[in-house]
Amino acid sequence: MSGVNVMEKERTLIVNPLKTCQPLGAMYAVMGVHHALPMVHGSQGCSTFVRYNFARHFREPAEIAVSSLHEDAAVFGGRKNINAGIKNLALRFKPDLIGAITTCSSEIIGDDVFGFVDTTKKELKTMSEDVKGLDKIEVIPIPTPSFVGNHFTGYDVGVKSLVEALAEPGEPTEKVNIIPGIVNPGDIREIKHIMALMGIEGLILTDTSDPFDSPLRPSVTPTRPYFPKGGTTVDKIRDSANSQGTITLCKYAESSATSLEKKHDVPAIIESPPIGLQNTDQFLRNLKKLTDCDVPESILDERGVLVDLIADNAARYLFDKKVAIYGDPDITTGMARFVGELGMEPTMVCTGANSKTFTPDMEKISKETGTDIDVLFEQDMRSFEVYVNENPVDIMIGPSDGRLLAQDLGIPLIRVGFPVYDRIGYHRHPIVGYNGGMRLMELITNAVLEKYYEPTHWKLQQ
Amino acid sequence: MEPVIETFESRKKHMCVKGEGLSIPVCDKASLPGTVTQRTCVFGGARIVLMPITDSIHLVHGPIGCAACTWDIRGSKSSREELYKKGCSTDLQEKDIVFGGEKKLFETVLELYNIYKPGAIFVYATCVSGVIGDDIKAVCKKSEDLTGCRVIPVQSEGFQDHNKTKGHWIGGDALLDYVIGTKEPEETTPFDINIVGEFNVAGDLWGIKPLLEEMGVNIISTISGDSHADEIAQAHRAKLNIVQCQKSSNYVARKMEKKYGIPFIKVNFFGLEQTTNSLREIADFFGDEEMIDRTEKIIERELMGVEDETQEYRERLEGKTVALYVGGNKAWSLVRAFEEVGMDVMMSGTKNGIKEDYERIKETVRDGTIIVDDANSTELARLLKKYKPNLLISGAKEKYISLKLGIPFCDFNHDRISAFAGFKGFVSFAKEVDASVSSPVFNLASKTLSKVSKTPKVGGDENAS
Repeated sequence: MSGVNVMEKERTLIVNPLKTCQPLGAMYAVMGVHHALPMVHGSQGCSTFVRYNFARHFREPAEIAVSSLHEDAAVFGGRKNINAGIKNLALRFKPDLIGAITTCSSEIIGDDVFGFVDTTKKELKTMSEDVKGLDKIEVIPIPTPSFVGNHFTGYDVGVKSLVEALAEPGEPTEKVNIIPGIVNPGDIREIKHIMALMGIEGLILTDTSDPFDSPLRPSVTPTRPYFPKGGTTVDKIRDSANSQGTITLCKYAESSATSLEKKHDVPAIIESPPIGLQNTDQFLRNLKKLTDCDVPESILDERGVLVDLIADNAARYLFDKKVAIYGDPDITTGMARFVGELGMEPTMVCTGANSKTFTPDMEKISKETGTDIDVLFEQDMRSFEVYVNENPVDIMIGPSDGRLLAQDLGIPLIRVGFPVYDRIGYHRHPIVGYNGGMRLMELITNAVLEKYYEPTHWKLQQ
Repeated sequence: MEPVIETFESRKKHMCVKGEGLSIPVCDKASLPGTVTQRTCVFGGARIVLMPITDSIHLVHGPIGCAACTWDIRGSKSSREELYKKGCSTDLQEKDIVFGGEKKLFETVLELYNIYKPGAIFVYATCVSGVIGDDIKAVCKKSEDLTGCRVIPVQSEGFQDHNKTKGHWIGGDALLDYVIGTKEPEETTPFDINIVGEFNVAGDLWGIKPLLEEMGVNIISTISGDSHADEIAQAHRAKLNIVQCQKSSNYVARKMEKKYGIPFIKVNFFGLEQTTNSLREIADFFGDEEMIDRTEKIIERELMGVEDETQEYRERLEGKTVALYVGGNKAWSLVRAFEEVGMDVMMSGTKNGIKEDYERIKETVRDGTIIVDDANSTELARLLKKYKPNLLISGAKEKYISLKLGIPFCDFNHDRISAFAGFKGFVSFAKEVDASVSSPVFNLASKTLSKVSKTPKVGGDENAS
């Protein structure tokens, strides 16, 4: 009977982290709102380095404002900065929404962001007598101290803050809310594609697909001020209280779904991301359960093409290959299950987060795949490195941060998750859904062929 | 007078045109809260000047994000160790905020020492460690006593200033207080120098070092590109400091002059004329006839061929305009290099310039050049749209703002691929600039299919609004 062996960090130090702090996740969530801007209440580095990280992964501009806290704020509080910050941002951008995201410093100095935002909103109302529309701007406080949780919980808090502040009961709709998690534009587009084939209107909380993958059209690119296309509108977020249900594609960032269920009776289905066959099957079953819509032939054909692709190649090239997976908790569980479906062995998964149900979920996958899985829980890339040095694997799956290790060890790296900055196109292609499965299957198989087969080997021909 | 662009009243004075009045913008002020600033924090400033020390561990004492978002992001190359690329953090948690993080820091430093036995451990203070009042100095001292490894406090609390220049100085102070002068060189020569403010981005140092060595100069240390802590420790025995990045490193050079009596000269290895002048100035400083002869021969040899090798690029670039928006130094040090490839610098700006920086810019640029301080993303976009340069030189955050407007972009920051310093670097520079400006894609970016057949202007559609 196979099982999991949980290995926790045996040191205080973190080397080459597999997580970052909460504000990044909250910024990501706000970037997915139409005509919205995150405003970080903290030091300039808190916005700048995140913008840098978004830019190198998505290769897109990321407009994130900052209240620019300096030393005087540590003494006198940051009220002046956040107040002026929101007003300046409102005047210049006239956004639909501002997410006021706290950081470590603003939390420690005890800034009451909720109170400050209330006061500022009143001022915006007064100002709207001169500048029309300022009173219509939603300003949402998002408390994300950096010394609690990680970017993933920050994402959770971000989406939850938006939903709790905005969701309004009204006429029930046929929509289904989707909480995508920290994913790529390609993933959200694939989810929309699936839902469109099912005839279901999705309400994505929040939709970063267009903001983080927008066209270059100089003559129509709005620059005064710059807002990317797309994103979920504030009105749609309001309407999320009236949907038929909510499905999370991120099991470990579920609190907005549970909140909608508790407060507005919107049934919540909390599930891992639809990576691979069974997870995508489950996603479709969940959609059907909520809406009573049938799975159309077109989707079954897509499934069939993926099954065909696996049948054609997996047994021949992938069987028994050992895989080490690292990254965000949801993507790693999804990937572990998928490589199991390919007949590979997910011998190790490593995550930097401490999501409570991660280990039990890996136990299920271990039983299903018949593989003993070493679970590096709340760990870093250093632990990953030590592990794969002692326990050789054939393939690594995870973000670009493993690239130097992969190179040193001569192990192919399949780039998945955030951040991927040393290859292009990874944000545009899905890893979710049957189409995402095809993409992954191709990436993995081609990497195996390249590394483990002679270029002239007859096996490569068919 | 018409403002350079429309912006907030308080920001208008941060932009000017050379030749009109003072020609120096208001600068070194806190950014307006609520703007999308292109600046960073003091911690970031300190980290980038020290990170290129390759045999050292750079430990960030703060919540995970300060390390997670900044490790291995500086394109400084190493010829030896790779330790500097590791992202190390104490990962401060809520309980550490309540009870203090000193114990955790101490444990972390010991663990790092045991795993890596590094040349030094630099411990960076962050906003959090500053607010909770951790005594980083004491912990560093204690762990240094215990391990015998250099453990160096860097007092870089992120929020302590609006200007990351202060971070550069704090990084410099860490070297001045704890590293420089702590080791004696085995032997000295009359021609010992340090290269200060050269961070070996994309291997720039390697374009300069062979030339200097051929001249007969002995390089004790580079501060801090491709260096080891032990080498910087011997820097006090140099007879001369040459300063490349004068934005970040004049501070260190001045302090070394005061403390050790080492004179310094400002050099610039971007561009042919600047490289030539810099080499000559170094040779003249030593006044050694043989060295002066050798230097002239090197210059003659290196210049030969450069003209041919760059001719094609120069032909295409002739008359094209370029806007510089950089951290500081490059706002003046690149101007001549661009003129040498035939381009016209129509705007020069910095994110963190102080008054002396803008004096330098003013001296260097021609009349009519727009000079900009701390332009935030909206202002940068407006400048680009209004003045339509053929190229923007800046960093990763600005790259996609510019490209989205159809303005060609060339990275001159950490993410640069080719070395641009020295004679060979100039050829790469001309090539890369040409590749950006002359990329066919910008002729194909116009808005309707019917317009594609016409020849749209490079640098954005005329109808853009």
